[in-house]
Amino acid sequence: MDDEYTSGFKEPCAQCCAVDWGLTDEGRFYCRSCHNVIERTKEVEDSNFNPGSSRVSTISSKKRKLKQERGRQWMVCEGFQFILMDQADALVKLGVSKHFKDEVLHQLWMLYLHRSQQAYTNTPIRSCTARPQTSDSDSAADLSVVSGSETDSEMFPPSRASSVTSNADNSDASLYASSVDGSTYRNQRGGTSHLMTMKKTLVLLHLGLVWARQGLTLSDLLRLVNEGHVPYVNTFQAFPEEMKLSGSDSVIFKVLKVPPYEQVHKETENLIGFLQLPAFPPISRQSLLHPASLCLRYLMEVNLPDDLYPWVCELMKFAQLDDVLQNRYDPFLHRKFPHYDVQAVAIIIVTMKFIFGLNDHVEWESSTRASQSPHSGRTFNLRRWYRLLQGAVLRAQRRRDNDAARKQWIPEKLLSSNRQAENVAMKRKRVSNELQSCFRKLTSGPSGPSGPSDGPVQPPSIFQFFWGDMDGADGPSLHRQNLDLLVTQVGGILKPTNEQYWHPALRDCSSCHDGGHYSEAEPTLPRMFVWTLQLFAFVLDLTPALIYREVLRVERRVLGTRTPQSRKHTKFLNVRLERARARLGAEMRARARLGAETRARMEAETKARVRLGAETKAKEGMTVTPQGQRKRKKKAPDGL
Amino acid sequence: LVCKCKYFTRICLERIREAMLHHRWQEAAEYMVFYPQKLEGSEIEYRQNRELIWRISIELLHHMPNSKLEDYNNIHERMKHLGVKIYLKVSLEQSFHLMLCGQIEEAKQLLAIGESWRYGKESASQHQTAKLIQAYRSLLDYVIWCDKKFTLDDTDDDSVTYQDMHSYFRQASVHLKEIFKNPGVWDPFIVSYVEMLEFYDDHEEALKILNDYAYDDTFPPNPNAHVFLYQYLKRRGASDKKLTKVLKVKQQIQKKGDIKKALGIVMDMLDFACWRKELEVWRSLNDIIGKLNSGLNWKDILSETVEPRKDWWPALHFTSFHAAQDSKENPELMKLKAPVAKIFCPGK
Repeated sequence: MDDEYTSGFKEPCAQCCAVDWGLTDEGRFYCRSCHNVIERTKEVEDSNFNPGSSRVSTISSKKRKLKQERGRQWMVCEGFQFILMDQADALVKLGVSKHFKDEVLHQLWMLYLHRSQQAYTNTPIRSCTARPQTSDSDSAADLSVVSGSETDSEMFPPSRASSVTSNADNSDASLYASSVDGSTYRNQRGGTSHLMTMKKTLVLLHLGLVWARQGLTLSDLLRLVNEGHVPYVNTFQAFPEEMKLSGSDSVIFKVLKVPPYEQVHKETENLIGFLQLPAFPPISRQSLLHPASLCLRYLMEVNLPDDLYPWVCELMKFAQLDDVLQNRYDPFLHRKFPHYDVQAVAIIIVTMKFIFGLNDHVEWESSTRASQSPHSGRTFNLRRWYRLLQGAVLRAQRRRDNDAARKQWIPEKLLSSNRQAENVAMKRKRVSNELQSCFRKLTSGPSGPSGPSDGPVQPPSIFQFFWGDMDGADGPSLHRQNLDLLVTQVGGILKPTNEQYWHPALRDCSSCHDGGHYSEAEPTLPRMFVWTLQLFAFVLDLTPALIYREVLRVERRVLGTRTPQSRKHTKFLNVRLERARARLGAEMRARARLGAETRARMEAETKARVRLGAETKAKEGMTVTPQGQRKRKKKAPDGL
Repeated sequence: LVCKCKYFTRICLERIREAMLHHRWQEAAEYMVFYPQKLEGSEIEYRQNRELIWRISIELLHHMPNSKLEDYNNIHERMKHLGVKIYLKVSLEQSFHLMLCGQIEEAKQLLAIGESWRYGKESASQHQTAKLIQAYRSLLDYVIWCDKKFTLDDTDDDSVTYQDMHSYFRQASVHLKEIFKNPGVWDPFIVSYVEMLEFYDDHEEALKILNDYAYDDTFPPNPNAHVFLYQYLKRRGASDKKLTKVLKVKQQIQKKGDIKKALGIVMDMLDFACWRKELEVWRSLNDIIGKLNSGLNWKDILSETVEPRKDWWPALHFTSFHAAQDSKENPELMKLKAPVAKIFCPGK
């Protein structure tokens, strides 16, 4: 009876997942199995209202149906545009400012399309396709028309189903609809280095985040991708119905791994060169991307005492790494794109070397003394910190591996190029799906929400560890402990008790790209130092060699590039060390105040984000854990 | 760095294995939600994982509290049709499961389908599985025959049941006769066949089958065969002379089998250094060798256990150091070891 209206609607019911729709008296859709009424109403297709055009409407509906089967013509970069939009939406939902998506990312994308001559240009590259249809020039014209109307608020052009006119019923199109240039995308003239790839989407996101000075570093972005909060694997499944994919497209859009940190970073440098970007906007002290903020964040992450922060800031100042104007990144002046996160971590490590020593002797002696002192409960003890962190890292590594084992890599949509392969693949997919759903059913019963899901397994958070006394914490918090016995007061100035500082040869090695020679140097380094490198490598999810290289870089800035072998320069080094120590001690109290203020501000912001996050999550029906304070994602302050 | 699909699958399988070893079935099942993705990988991955995934799934179903028969059937059906190589194996296992659940008719039907299934060239392993399928199908025919026989006494209308029974008997006997031509241990099948034959008074056939089973040299030595023969002859009231003859043969075989087993056990014990100085062990070894010497094929049996040890036993037990030590501390041990040493190192 009302099937003629509801047959086209194939969405499963939200309550009972059945696809069995009927029409209520008011014309609303309702589910016949659970009587759940939804918002959708039957479209007024009553031909009585426009008697003259009934025939026209029939023709167009048939065409639309046919178009739905064949899909419309679409270009590969359109697909990427869709994916980028998806990813940017996810980031905005996590707390990144809208300015990042609407202005920065969009501009970067347009610039990329322009430079690679795929769109927004008068001479778009058309890869040689076998199709003789007229659709090519149509879409090219469309794209260049859009560039003229950039001021339109609808920044990402809407679907152009209306503009493709008579091609829906082309009878000689292949049975497997796909993108227009999917099969030849890789063979375009001009080489392949500037083509869009899935990896480049991450690169563009990273560039956009840095340009917009958001507090999400590259390691954060990659971690969010790995955890599934930012779509990357199988994003093409979310393409709209009209954009159909086939085998040749799968090569471009399918991913079986998330690229590692260094690769994405290198590609970012390449892309900056390709796009010929100007100097980046400066990173102000208030921004979350500033080294001061990043250092504070990482100090909190690894449970180091807050009293260490003023020392970190002093070191930054001494190395001139906090200078807003001097550290403004300009592609023409600076060869290398900075690693913001690694740099912050390196600063912390150098500070730790100054205060703790990290040479396998000094720090343990001072720990022993700290544990024997009368106020050992409140004094920071490196041994205790080491044990806590070691346990926490092992558990976190195990958790990370377990989550890695529960990832859905294979897409649900089947992409194949020929009938035979498709049949085989379809059969196997059915078996695989059957098995998966069987076990899903078996494991989701009594265990309820703790069963596995295909989505992200943890709520998104900028912190990986949680320190405190509540349930589920990784360990007790050491943030409020003081640095007694590690710093001594000499005439009103605080100085580190440890008077030695060791470092490997600091001269810049120009012969190697790595600059660190970590694998050769590692056996000679103190074990505690190596362990610290590995700790931060786990937190950032990259190799210790990268951090080691950056540590050397910071040390060069602090201590100069003289190697310790030269006697003449040892004195110079000592003088510089003295100066460094003096400076570190000098404005301690002012720094301490500022450090506390910043931390208080960050905590307040985090609390605000918690509330905001909780609201968003409540809307989505998820629950917020009571210790979620520090686990919330931080948003960049508005107005940046 | 956990970002690769390959890493995922290695870790996933490791976790499943670990969980199953420790009987954490729920956890293993949670990982099994994702592991079947391997079926959609490359051809090599698919082939390597097909049987593995099937076996893991079924094993997990055994242990999950809320698994149902339809889950089993579902999985079996799907996996069966995945490939030629796996079809017969899965059919057989599926039928075993149905038998366990008491669904005899369904199991029989399944085996019947499997019997008539032909696809491509039959490999050696498939040939074996096909034989097993035939055998078990016949066994199920026997089970149904038994059920019908049971109802025989109750109902009045016997002729229909008789006919039914006879048809099952015929089906079973055709295949069983084929099966018994192949060397193997067919104890339960033999027993059922003989029972049916006795019911129809076909004693000639029964005796022939039993004799062939017991005395055919190509079959592995099986004392049970002689037990069956003995029991049958007793039922038929055979002469004592005949009975004892059968028993003697059985005892011989059993003894041989027992001795072989004992030899194996003693040798295994002496593989470990802690038994090196135990007099009892060496004494039993000498006894066994003595017993073996009197029987048939002692050389073959002895060499079977000695060969794999020839390389390292001399160093373990029969060096000059050992000799010196033993002669000082434990001369009796040396005496016991001497004959064995002769076997291992004939030139000494």
